[in-house]
Amino acid sequence: MDQSETYNKIVKLITPYVKNTAALEAANSSTRILEDLEVNSARLVDIILAIEDEFSVAIDDEAADRVQTLGDAVEVVLARSAVR
Amino acid sequence: MLSWRERCLLGIQRVLAQAFAPLTWLLTVGWMRLGRRYRILDRSAVRRRFRDLLVEGDGPVIVCANHLTVIDSLLLIWALASVWNGALKSALFPWNVPEKSNYYKNPLLCAFCYLGKCLPIVRRGPRVEIRKVLDRVAYLLTRGESVMLFPEGGRSRSGRVSLENFAYGVGTVLQEVPRARVLCVYLRGVEQGGFCDLPPSGERFYVDLKMLTPRTEQTGRRGARDLATQVVETLVEMECRYFEKSA
Repeated sequence: MDQSETYNKIVKLITPYVKNTAALEAANSSTRILEDLEVNSARLVDIILAIEDEFSVAIDDEAADRVQTLGDAVEVVLARSAVR
Repeated sequence: MLSWRERCLLGIQRVLAQAFAPLTWLLTVGWMRLGRRYRILDRSAVRRRFRDLLVEGDGPVIVCANHLTVIDSLLLIWALASVWNGALKSALFPWNVPEKSNYYKNPLLCAFCYLGKCLPIVRRGPRVEIRKVLDRVAYLLTRGESVMLFPEGGRSRSGRVSLENFAYGVGTVLQEVPRARVLCVYLRGVEQGGFCDLPPSGERFYVDLKMLTPRTEQTGRRGARDLATQVVETLVEMECRYFEKSA
């Protein structure tokens, strides 16, 4: 799976939790999930679980903590997919 | 796992909190009853039910309540036990996990929180720090103490218990202490609209209790989510019952 496809899938997974939809429309890899998209921090767990389900990967706590931006989420998924 | 030093510090806090309970409770309850003219509806029945629920089953108790005002934990402590019972029996005086920035503002409040069995937490703080607080909570539960948590993770902005916006911390604690039971408490001022800082003077508070033993087959984050969801769903049911009664 390439970076762009992964990015698009992640954006789709995050969309239900986004409060700032305008920021989502203008989003790119450096868009911050909590600050820019105004996702409730408690929902990050749901997003990580949704990503695990969608991409059939396991994301540990340390990797989950590193996910700040959409680009970080893509990197984590690609790294986990590569070692699968 | 807590270090020997951390366990000692918690032990000291517990002893001091219990010793000063008559003073801290009388000040707090005096302010609520006389200064604010608050009343707990059916207070004696609520306390009796709390005591009965504690002894009915085995396992430590996590008190989980809905959250609408900044003094909910004080109101709940007042509602659930008398000052003397709370001072004599530690499990009737639950520990609390307040957001540090809300309450630890000056030395007096810090001392009051310390004697009120508070373990401050920074909600969006580093995972390591949150983990330390959850470890303390788990340790206290395994020692038979009770702990009060607000599963919504903050005051409900809608004024109702939300299934959309709650944290999974209570689920994580339940995974750590599988023997723990959850006492769901629904607390609401009869004049309460949405969320607020302080309820208006003269407010009367409805309190409902329900014991729950959440179980899940799942592990990790999914397990924590499942367990926390069961707790919040119970609070939603209790809220529905309140509004049906008051309709």
